[in-house]
Amino acid sequence: MTSPPPSAPVPTQEPDHPEPPFSPAPVEELLRLMVKASRAHQLYLPNNPIYRGAVDALRAGFATVWAETDELTLVVAETEMKWCDVSVLGDGTKSSDNLAWLFYKDGVRELRLEEGLEESEMVKLLEIIQRARKASPDEDDLVTMLWEADLPHLKYRYVDLLGDGGADELADGGDSTTPAEPGQVRESAQAAAEESRASGVVNMADFDATLYFLDEREIAYLQEEVRREYVQDLRTNVVSVLLDIFEQQSEPETRNEVLENINTLMVFLLTAGNFRGVAQLLREARAAVERGTDVTEEQRLRLDALADRLSAPEALSQLLQALDDTPQLPPHEELAELFDQLRATALSTVFLWLTRIQNDKLRPLLQLAAGRLAAANTAELVRLVQAAEREVSNEAIRRAGALKAQAAVTALAKIMSEPDASRRQLVAQALTEIASPGALQVLERAIEDADREVRITSVRALTGRAYRPMLARLEAIVKGKSVRDADLTEKMAFFEGYGALCGDSGVPQLDAILNGKGFLGRREDAEIRACAAIALGRVGTAKSLEALRKASTEKDVVVRNAVSRALRGSSGPAS
Amino acid sequence: MNDPRSAPPPRPSIPGTPATSRPAISGDAPVGGGESFVRRAGRNLIFSVYGALRAVKLYPVENAAVGKALTELTSQSNELIASEQEFELRISGEFIFVNETRLRLDLDNFASFSHLLSLLRASGIGTVTITGTVTNKDWMVFLSVLQSASSDDPTDRFAQMQDKLQKAGVLVFSLGPPTDQGEDSREKTKERAKRTYAQSVSVTKDLMTSVRMGGSPNIKKIKRVIQGIVDQILNEETSLIGLTTIRDYDEYTFTHSVNVCIFAVALGKRLGLSKLQLYDLGLAALFHDIGKSRVPQEVLNKTGGLTDEEWRMIASHPWLGVLSLFQVRGVQEIPYRAMVVAHEHHMKHDLTGYPRPIRSRQMSMFSKIVAIADGFDAATSRRAYQTVPYTPAQVMAEMRDNPRRGMDPVIVKAFINLTGIYPVGTLVILDTFELGIVHAVNPLQDMLSRPIVRIISDAQGNLLHPGDLADLADRDASGNFSRTIIKTETAERYGIRIGDYFV
Repeated sequence: MTSPPPSAPVPTQEPDHPEPPFSPAPVEELLRLMVKASRAHQLYLPNNPIYRGAVDALRAGFATVWAETDELTLVVAETEMKWCDVSVLGDGTKSSDNLAWLFYKDGVRELRLEEGLEESEMVKLLEIIQRARKASPDEDDLVTMLWEADLPHLKYRYVDLLGDGGADELADGGDSTTPAEPGQVRESAQAAAEESRASGVVNMADFDATLYFLDEREIAYLQEEVRREYVQDLRTNVVSVLLDIFEQQSEPETRNEVLENINTLMVFLLTAGNFRGVAQLLREARAAVERGTDVTEEQRLRLDALADRLSAPEALSQLLQALDDTPQLPPHEELAELFDQLRATALSTVFLWLTRIQNDKLRPLLQLAAGRLAAANTAELVRLVQAAEREVSNEAIRRAGALKAQAAVTALAKIMSEPDASRRQLVAQALTEIASPGALQVLERAIEDADREVRITSVRALTGRAYRPMLARLEAIVKGKSVRDADLTEKMAFFEGYGALCGDSGVPQLDAILNGKGFLGRREDAEIRACAAIALGRVGTAKSLEALRKASTEKDVVVRNAVSRALRGSSGPAS
Repeated sequence: MNDPRSAPPPRPSIPGTPATSRPAISGDAPVGGGESFVRRAGRNLIFSVYGALRAVKLYPVENAAVGKALTELTSQSNELIASEQEFELRISGEFIFVNETRLRLDLDNFASFSHLLSLLRASGIGTVTITGTVTNKDWMVFLSVLQSASSDDPTDRFAQMQDKLQKAGVLVFSLGPPTDQGEDSREKTKERAKRTYAQSVSVTKDLMTSVRMGGSPNIKKIKRVIQGIVDQILNEETSLIGLTTIRDYDEYTFTHSVNVCIFAVALGKRLGLSKLQLYDLGLAALFHDIGKSRVPQEVLNKTGGLTDEEWRMIASHPWLGVLSLFQVRGVQEIPYRAMVVAHEHHMKHDLTGYPRPIRSRQMSMFSKIVAIADGFDAATSRRAYQTVPYTPAQVMAEMRDNPRRGMDPVIVKAFINLTGIYPVGTLVILDTFELGIVHAVNPLQDMLSRPIVRIISDAQGNLLHPGDLADLADRDASGNFSRTIIKTETAERYGIRIGDYFV
């Protein structure tokens, strides 16, 4: 690559070419193909046949030129390129579609293409052309792009349009000094030599050059240092530096500036997908507040607000969306570190995304984060039980149950009056898990819920906890008509509950159902009698067994089986 | 008519412009011909030459180690010739080219490169061409002759070597003298270095002033300046390093930043960093003192002792640099690496120094490089609070010998390897009672204490300007060194301004 920058623009030296050494046609064709390929590069993906065709054609164009010469020097003028003083490209326009202008406007005045460019470098050149076309004035110019690409078979000459030509002449600006007279110089030199001899001390390191050869161990050390230089996470390094500054410098202006920069950096870290860095930033920000001297309330709040910013619905939703979309998730530990830094305000967004997330690898991580956040922020969890978004509220209900959050009972109870049976069922399950006295009271009322599932869940929950206050309500149900219209599962749940709680006082009622005859000697239907048998089995007293034995010769198979099972399973009164 | 097919063009590429071009030096592509093959095969060949040189030197010819080394070398060279139909090894500056492809110099191979370069230079050889199939015996003779001790002038040795090879019937090696730059070209290189330096100082001044005024400096200009310095260092570092001896008192802050950038890039090159890594390093080095643009000028320029508060202000420039660099943002990226270097460049190897880090960290290698370049340039410059600078040799010895300076000893060692024991710009007294200014480190690796000097006064004390260059490795007819340094001196004692001899 060639980059000899003169201090100021200089007229391009026109090569002395009286006449071209071969016909310009292949050169013109080559440049036409390059324009075409650069357009194809702009419009199509690399696997597109049109793009591939354009690149192949350009390679063929190079081959034709290389059959004539092994290098091609092109002079770049404002709107045209010349080869041996013959115009070979240019449509006279000053647009970035005109390759000549594209190069010229950034200062390139001569290009030398060498055989070999068409191999791996040609596509890189097309990329550079594309980048240069799209570059804004603030971005790198073509000369910098070419410099960085360092294409071995492309040399170029340019004028430095960035140089202001105002560089001062070089001069030693030190005090003017008067050269010593020859006699003085001679005397000083001889005196110095004498001093040196008199000192008699010789440092071998000053003479033995081999002492400065690096040995293998030192070379290995340097290689490792270079490797380390380039694997270090510069952003988090700078975050650490900024937080060090925050802690050590207490001037408000400095701290304000640091805080602004930290804010900026957090966005960059997130954009770069450096979640560990964000986690570190948030964690260390907390430490900086704790350790820093004279941290004002405002400064503390501003540092604190960093985690809040990330936890805000808009920011967190974007993050989760990006994570859900990415084919390659960051390492789990890295994400876990980040999620650990979320605040209570993140909970609703996390709950919402738990229902939306498609990425099966991300879900368990978010579940963990949700669990941790919910556990640490019960008040927010309780608030979310009644959130307007159904997904959020449902997740909050589930989490409240899983966490046995007694504080959520009141909020959960309110949902029991909602018309949506599935939500009431969710609440019943949550209350079952919470199982506090308050929760059980709500469940007691729920055994008369309009929804079968809610009723069954509630009665089973209460039965499981031997909740005696529901006995009267149960007895009424057992005696009542509604249970007789219910399906077997529900009947069974209620009778089992009744049997578990009623003791001997309930036996006559159950005996009557199992063995009694009603008007015209009619018995209850077989399902109800079987349920009564099971209930008697749960009572498990001598009196209840006696009632069961009376039915042991029952002809109805359903009843007889239930009785047998109850007799076998009964080993004493239910606790 | 200029026929592009005729005679292969010499590499200095574009008419009227000295070659700053370099074939790529990184990213070896798969084997299978072409430049990457030459690069790989050439590199292996240099390793083999080095191995064979050692074997030939250490063991008798019959030794199996010699046979094995020669067989490997022969096989590799013949393979390369078979693939490329030609083999030419050319040395230019500190680089070795094989068939016009520059071999990558890095930490893995610099010892072998350096040894071979030294031997070829000492024998006055610039190019070695193999004109046919080479045998073990050819190589053995060639290598033996190449490293046979001699005190002769390289030009004489070149003729002797050709003669010896001919007498031994080894005709397959064709030797050529160095394709040295002519005086005209050297002048152009020097001029370009001066332009680069002046431009760098100017841009640095704009940068610091802009930051001081709270503005956003032009990052594109800064990038271009660093690119220029990297190009210059990669191609011919002597001229640019020579210019660092210009110690402009009034512009100290700016010239210092540029000097540190030059030393750092040159050291980075010595350590085998790639071009883009050198760019990163150069950028960080140029910015290392940017925090000073936020320190009051009256404090920076104070000549007397500093109060505690003033010292605190000075010592704040590393972290102020970090904040300042947030101002210097191009659209693409925050200069993170430069921030780390600005923050760490006054820390010591063991993380003492200032500022003291609170959070655990490992000092960046680039910070260590910049710390050395910074320490060297600062101590050898005359500044507001250092009216008598130290001599370069004193500073170098202090860095080397005083562990409390906290410099990384391995990088200091590499720095001395770069600058020589008597760095460029050192005023020396020779045993001839002549005064000399060190002009360049001796290209012969084992002659670090015998640099190329410009004789600036004769034995009678008459000051000369510009004076002639003398290689202190040169010997007289009896094999003794013609001139030897006996002492370094301060230029002030003689009323000499070192920079005058480099501009």
